[in-house]
Amino acid sequence: MKSYNIILAGVGGQGLVLTTKILAEVALKAGYSVKTNDVIGLSQRGGKVWGSVKMDSEVFSPNIAVGQADFVIGFEPLEAYRHCYFLRKKGTIIVNTHKIPPIPVMFEQVAYPEDIYEKLDAEYELVKIEAVEEAMKLGNVKVANTFLLGALASRMMIDKSIWIEAISENVPRKTVEANLKAFDAYFEKQ
Amino acid sequence: MKKVLNGNEAVARGFYEAGGLVSASYPGSPTVEIIQTLIDEYDEIYAEFSINEKVAVEVGIGASIAGARTLVAMKHVGVNVAMDPLMTFTQTPINGGFVLISGDDPGMSSSQNEQDNRILAKFAHMCVFDPGDAMEAKVMTKEALSISETFGLPVMVRMTSRVCHSRSIVELEDRVDRVVSGFSKKIEDYGMIPPHTFKKQYEMKNRIAKLQDFIESSPINRLEDDYRSDVLIVTSGLMYQNLKELNLKLDVLKLGVVYPLPIEQIRALKKRYARVIVIEEMMPFIEDELKIHGIACEGKEFFSFTGELMSEAILKGLEGAGAVEANDAEVIEATETVNRFSMFCAGCPHRPVFDILKKNKVSVIGDIGCYSLAVLEPFELVNTIISMGASIGMMKGMSKAYQMAERQEPLVAVIGDGTFYHSGMTGMLNLLHQLDPDYNLTLLILNNGTTAMTGGQQTASSGYYTDKSDMKVDMETLIRSMGFERFKRVDQFEYKAAKKVIDEELKYEGLSIVMTTRACALQYKIVKPHYVVDPDICIGCRSCLKTNCPPILMKAYEGHDKLKSSIAKEMCVGCSVCAQVCPVGAIKSSSAGEV
Ligand code: SF4
Ligand code: SF4
Repeated sequence: MKSYNIILAGVGGQGLVLTTKILAEVALKAGYSVKTNDVIGLSQRGGKVWGSVKMDSEVFSPNIAVGQADFVIGFEPLEAYRHCYFLRKKGTIIVNTHKIPPIPVMFEQVAYPEDIYEKLDAEYELVKIEAVEEAMKLGNVKVANTFLLGALASRMMIDKSIWIEAISENVPRKTVEANLKAFDAYFEKQ
Repeated sequence: MKKVLNGNEAVARGFYEAGGLVSASYPGSPTVEIIQTLIDEYDEIYAEFSINEKVAVEVGIGASIAGARTLVAMKHVGVNVAMDPLMTFTQTPINGGFVLISGDDPGMSSSQNEQDNRILAKFAHMCVFDPGDAMEAKVMTKEALSISETFGLPVMVRMTSRVCHSRSIVELEDRVDRVVSGFSKKIEDYGMIPPHTFKKQYEMKNRIAKLQDFIESSPINRLEDDYRSDVLIVTSGLMYQNLKELNLKLDVLKLGVVYPLPIEQIRALKKRYARVIVIEEMMPFIEDELKIHGIACEGKEFFSFTGELMSEAILKGLEGAGAVEANDAEVIEATETVNRFSMFCAGCPHRPVFDILKKNKVSVIGDIGCYSLAVLEPFELVNTIISMGASIGMMKGMSKAYQMAERQEPLVAVIGDGTFYHSGMTGMLNLLHQLDPDYNLTLLILNNGTTAMTGGQQTASSGYYTDKSDMKVDMETLIRSMGFERFKRVDQFEYKAAKKVIDEELKYEGLSIVMTTRACALQYKIVKPHYVVDPDICIGCRSCLKTNCPPILMKAYEGHDKLKSSIAKEMCVGCSVCAQVCPVGAIKSSSAGEV
């Protein structure tokens, strides 16, 4: 079975924990051994947060060494960029393009960096998704992360039915349908 | 059946499977989900968030003495608060198994210090388990309860943030039901005053000695000697997992229990290996234990005494020790970019309060809770943070010091409701004692009805905000009944009125207490239409920006040269504070017209 190392990066409050959990469930159902790091600490209040998922036939540490990740899922562009050095050469970075300005930007001390995508595109496979805008079209901002999952799933060798099962079991019941639509949107595009 | 669980959920599962009955805690990162999981998922178990950690341990002691299997969980600094009953409880015999979960925080991702509670456990004559992932956390919680009963002592399962919040696959088993035997009423066992206590010192020593004999040959400590290397690594918990990750050809003794250690086993092993190297996070605890027993070993000289030890640091340390060959693979540097710190949430009721304090240019004696964030940019207003509930006591000490030196300086302290009930109340009573009636002290109680930092657990006064609570302490009645007279309530979302009261009370010569009344924005969602900025009216003064609400940003509008304020509509919860601080009325509710 092909092993996968995935880093998730975003801003506190964006739902990284649930996404990490769904990825772990997918791995379990697909017969992997899996370990993850969840988001911890103070940063849950709008700070920078990251998690990791490692799936293999046997996994020891939940940590992914720098340069060893196959995928980085960026829930926010700046955070995607901050964590890109975890990627192996030619790894894939999937980015939600919706910006959340950090305090130094809000207070006009520095500008929000404009060249993020150029830099990422030069070294990695870059997938940009306007997840918040697309989610609002589906009538539910909360499904934004599932667009990213769809794009990830289409690049991994795990059966689609497993993803659908894991998503349906873990998102709030009322949002299952919207989430599956969001998942399909980028799974189909592949 | 297999399930993916994080370390905290796994501990809860282990307690459930072991027939656990009573559990208590005070919410704190990284262990808060243990009790939350017990409350949410296991109806068979009584679980409470107590007023503080000392009370949680007292509840646990009672349950254990009555014969129930008991779990008490808290973050590392919480154990300090609970230390008093714990130190004496370790003298009494154990009836129902008693396990204390300590959530240590190497690297201090959400704590004010980085203490190594293995040392506190030894101090209290407790056995310590050190799990390295969720599966081990479940197994060791069960094992800890059974050791507690067999050897008659309380046991600590020492988790770290990384283990608490790391998920892995856990094999689920059934619950075994256990009978509650009842209290034995042996005064010599539980009446802890002399002469009964004299014997207890020997009993404590003997229990640990017996346990150590057992540990010497227990499979909970595991020797992996496949490589016949000349170095033996002694390690435990997550450090073992991080080491295994490196796939090195070194023999390893993996400890499941780190106190007491299998000293004789290690002494015998030392004869086979040229060197023993200990890998552990934070303090050299295992290393010191070995050295105390005359077993030569190395360790901390190669590894950091602070922070987390990730695989890379372990490899570097072992290279430095000459235990593995150094390789100079290219180092990948972290990406440099704009930093991002935590901040108050949109619509957070603390923001207007700190905005008002900032305008008054006062320094503030802080406490622990979400409002600790006021230490950081952009408020940088709270000047001290020591421990839960300490701000009121500290204000007294400062005022006395100033009085003795014949200085007058108005003092302001803040405290949350969770913290007030946790241990601020006693400081509050103490404030009455020898209080100088003319010294300008102001206490701001930020009563938001929740312990927000850990995910919104209830406090004693949450009854005002939700009907799920079983407590409805009225803060004002409580404080007035203590004997305090000057008490004001303010609604901080009525910005101007609140500012007027707070400004006045800050000037009042004597003690004044101001309680804010708006609930946590995250826990009790405000669902009001969002606010919008009219760029034609906005003069770009940035008063709204200074309230530090996440949706507010200066931006360039077409047809305007100056930057004007704007509000991200998907983030704004409509609390109206920005509109109230705007001097020209440029901010309006979207319900008033344009969306
Ligand atoms: S109304 Fe203003 S202060 Fe309140 S949440 Fe919206 S942007 Fe923030
Ligand atoms: S406070 Fe009012 S005038 Fe000043 S920047 Fe904000 S919206 Fe513009």
